[in-house]
Amino acid sequence: MSVTVFVPRDSFAMALGADRVAQAIAVEAAARGLAVRVVRNGSRGMAWLEPFVEVQTPAGRTGYGPVSVRDVESLFAAGFLQGGAHPLAHGAVDAMPWLARQERLTYARVGVTDPLSLDDYLAHDGFRGLRRALGMAPGAVVEEVVASGLRGRGGAAFPTGIKWRTVAGAEAPRKYIACNADEGDSGTYSDRMIMEGDPYVLIEGMAIAGYAVGATYGYIYTRSEYPLAIATLEEAIRRARAAGWLGADIQGSGVSFDLEVRMGAGAYICGEETAMLESLEGKRGQIRPKPPLPALKGLFGMPTVVNNVISLATVPIILDRGGAFYAEFGMGRSRGTLPIQLAGNLRTPGLVEKAFGVTLRELVEDWGGGTASGRPVRAVQVGGPLGAYFDASLLDLPLDYEAFAKEQGIVGHGGIVVFDDTVDMAEQARYAMEFCAIESCGKCTPCRIGSTRGRELIERIIRGEDVAASHAQLLALCDVMEHASLCALGGMAPLPVLSALRFFPGDFGLAGDREVAHVG
Amino acid sequence: MKVRIGGPERAPRADEAPYDQDAVAEVLARWRDTPGNLLPILHDIQARLGHIPPASVRQVAKALGRSRAEVHGVITFYHDFRQAPAGRHVLKVCQAESCQAMGSRALTAHLERALGCALGETTADGSVTLEPIYCLGLCAASPALMLDGALHARVTPAAADALLAAAREGA
Amino acid sequence: MWAEVRGLRDDVDFGTPPRSGAPVTLTIDGVEVTVPAGSSVMLAAAEARRAVPKLCATDMVEAFGSCRVCLVEIEGRRGFPASCTTLVEPGMVVRTESPRLQQLRSGVMELYLSDFPAGELPDGWSEFHETVRRIGVTTHGYGAGATHHDLPVDASNPYFLFDPAKCIVCSRCVRACEEVQGTFALTIDGRGFDSKVAASQDEPFFDSECVSCGACVQACPSHALVEKSLFDGGYVRAESPEA
Repeated sequence: MSVTVFVPRDSFAMALGADRVAQAIAVEAAARGLAVRVVRNGSRGMAWLEPFVEVQTPAGRTGYGPVSVRDVESLFAAGFLQGGAHPLAHGAVDAMPWLARQERLTYARVGVTDPLSLDDYLAHDGFRGLRRALGMAPGAVVEEVVASGLRGRGGAAFPTGIKWRTVAGAEAPRKYIACNADEGDSGTYSDRMIMEGDPYVLIEGMAIAGYAVGATYGYIYTRSEYPLAIATLEEAIRRARAAGWLGADIQGSGVSFDLEVRMGAGAYICGEETAMLESLEGKRGQIRPKPPLPALKGLFGMPTVVNNVISLATVPIILDRGGAFYAEFGMGRSRGTLPIQLAGNLRTPGLVEKAFGVTLRELVEDWGGGTASGRPVRAVQVGGPLGAYFDASLLDLPLDYEAFAKEQGIVGHGGIVVFDDTVDMAEQARYAMEFCAIESCGKCTPCRIGSTRGRELIERIIRGEDVAASHAQLLALCDVMEHASLCALGGMAPLPVLSALRFFPGDFGLAGDREVAHVG
Repeated sequence: MKVRIGGPERAPRADEAPYDQDAVAEVLARWRDTPGNLLPILHDIQARLGHIPPASVRQVAKALGRSRAEVHGVITFYHDFRQAPAGRHVLKVCQAESCQAMGSRALTAHLERALGCALGETTADGSVTLEPIYCLGLCAASPALMLDGALHARVTPAAADALLAAAREGA
Repeated sequence: MWAEVRGLRDDVDFGTPPRSGAPVTLTIDGVEVTVPAGSSVMLAAAEARRAVPKLCATDMVEAFGSCRVCLVEIEGRRGFPASCTTLVEPGMVVRTESPRLQQLRSGVMELYLSDFPAGELPDGWSEFHETVRRIGVTTHGYGAGATHHDLPVDASNPYFLFDPAKCIVCSRCVRACEEVQGTFALTIDGRGFDSKVAASQDEPFFDSECVSCGACVQACPSHALVEKSLFDGGYVRAESPEA
């Protein structure tokens, strides 16, 4: 009787040597004459424990991590195949407080199952949402999503169901589902973890969307920086098609839906929906003006649902358990759960799926464990490179779209990057403008020229040249970028700059010398 | 004010700058019936030839019924596409916020010193091209880098040196 | 003056092409105006003789939305929509002038001026120069920074030349080449601040897919693409005052 050992194939684990660990376990087991079956699962999201190795014991799954090749021999010696004690042991995985305190709906299977096993997927409630949807009228499927209160998880937070209604109501010879998997925000990895850890849930969500709005073809547009996600998705699509979950007649329903993966080519702007559509059509990823809305005139001029990975991957559980079930989670107008991605200078960072309303402090201190450096938290950037920097005084803010908007911040795609007290916030502001300059599509003037001017002005402030005049000009520039840009890249790049100025004026030397901690 | 008259250089033709035309033809045939196929085609050409030779743009444009200008506009928009070969190894170091919070600036400076070239440049011996990258989605294990397509996380300067040494020994 | 020099049109440039939908009535600066459905607010404003400043828009090509000087205020809408890409709706109430719009348009023009050869400003008579004067911006507060002034002038075509220093990257030439002529000989090379107009693979116009039809020269609002016949004795860029 062989023992099942799980070694993740998620990028976190792979970037930390999981392949070598998996191989070492197989070699050591063979040398000891033990029967071991190694399953390559997704990541539980506890990135600081990766590679996180789990063993299936009669009492449930037991975890060890972070495991390196040189730990393997001692793990066997400690009897880890029976859940034996070891310095890297964390006991029963489901009982680990970091996981147990989460509310995993969208990520229920991630890290648990073999991402490419259809049997695993079906055994863990897979395709229940699609089966139920296919038994409903398409319009009723749309209304179920409306009832869930799900808002677009890419960052714009537009109600998903309302978008679907528009596409469903459009008359056209063809319609498309375009999944936005161009996850470019620093501090985010939730899309990647779904694609690598539970690709069938995304496929299922897209098939449901296709049925609901009358679209028969879909695209997943993802990044060239995500090679493992692309490989996993492509294999999953092949297997789903072979098993009749994609294609001309899904499970004998008469409904047809198929899809393919498309790889971007190094352009953050293609995460903006109209630039993504241009890119899918084989063009420069430049912003299209709206109107027309992509819902009416999108990919190849046809009505198109453009949804983020997490939005689409949440649809199956909404269809399975009902919109009302999902809407019970959350606060205010922010319904359901959000996969929050902890990043930067934290001791125990990773993916936390939690209902809206959880505070930044809980996330940074309880889940994140404070800074990895042991120094005080000085700044937190939420929502990616276009998100505001907050200081520690705002840590009690609950994660909620409206609460963040009140503080001139954004929840965005749910990434939280933590900095300790060695950070130079003028340099962070300079980088925000530089990033905008690097990634600007170049179409509109405020972003095309303004981002470079913004970087130059902040560099002047950092050097202490014409500080007052440069500061005044910077504020005027931010006003123009915010209100006159064509899209959110130019429109929101001022957010990190203005928030850094608001909370950390000393770093800019606006009232005397620049105060920057220089810690080696 | 004196201005420089002359403009840009003429684009090379296949007979002036030879490249593997058969490989490009195979790529074009593979994607012939796919709508919106230019990005997949350019990715495949680069995967086969290491870069997208400017002389090949004519062949691509002709097959797609598009102008050379259109194809050139797309190639130059996306930072992944290169019109000249890279070094034997390509090292992309994340420069984004999460990695900044975990020492990517120092790591980058260390690599620039160790390789004797700046971000965006190739070492004098042609062995390594050092490039910036903006997020590998490994932000809970920063700082991160990608060496010849393989991901590495929680990279210390010493670990980066070891990775580079191993790669350069291999080829 | 521009229209006379071009000799190509003496009518008003409505900014976006005409449409043929059912009549829609809206109010622009208190003036009631009726235009076909599908028309832009910019076209309606021109029709109401309340023409909005513009740079990237011209009625020979479709709306593009890049220059951001045609911003207007619309009752009941947040922000400052571009009038070229916003379509008219019945009962819409539009304002084309306000202190806030003036402030934003000035801010955008300042950005243009920060990358435009200063010596070429005083005596110019292109649409760009007319717009600079109309908005009333004479200088910018950005100091010395990166510019495109060192890019070489392409004089390879016998009839016209291209001076990238005076290019405002509105893409009117690229779009005219595509939409008016169907040649597709022009593109934008690169992206962001590095974006520049290029013929074919960023090569001399004369060697490129350009057929010398002149549509791009006609479309250019800033005299970056300009007929050689205007410069007896060769092209010289005007001396910059601070140089």
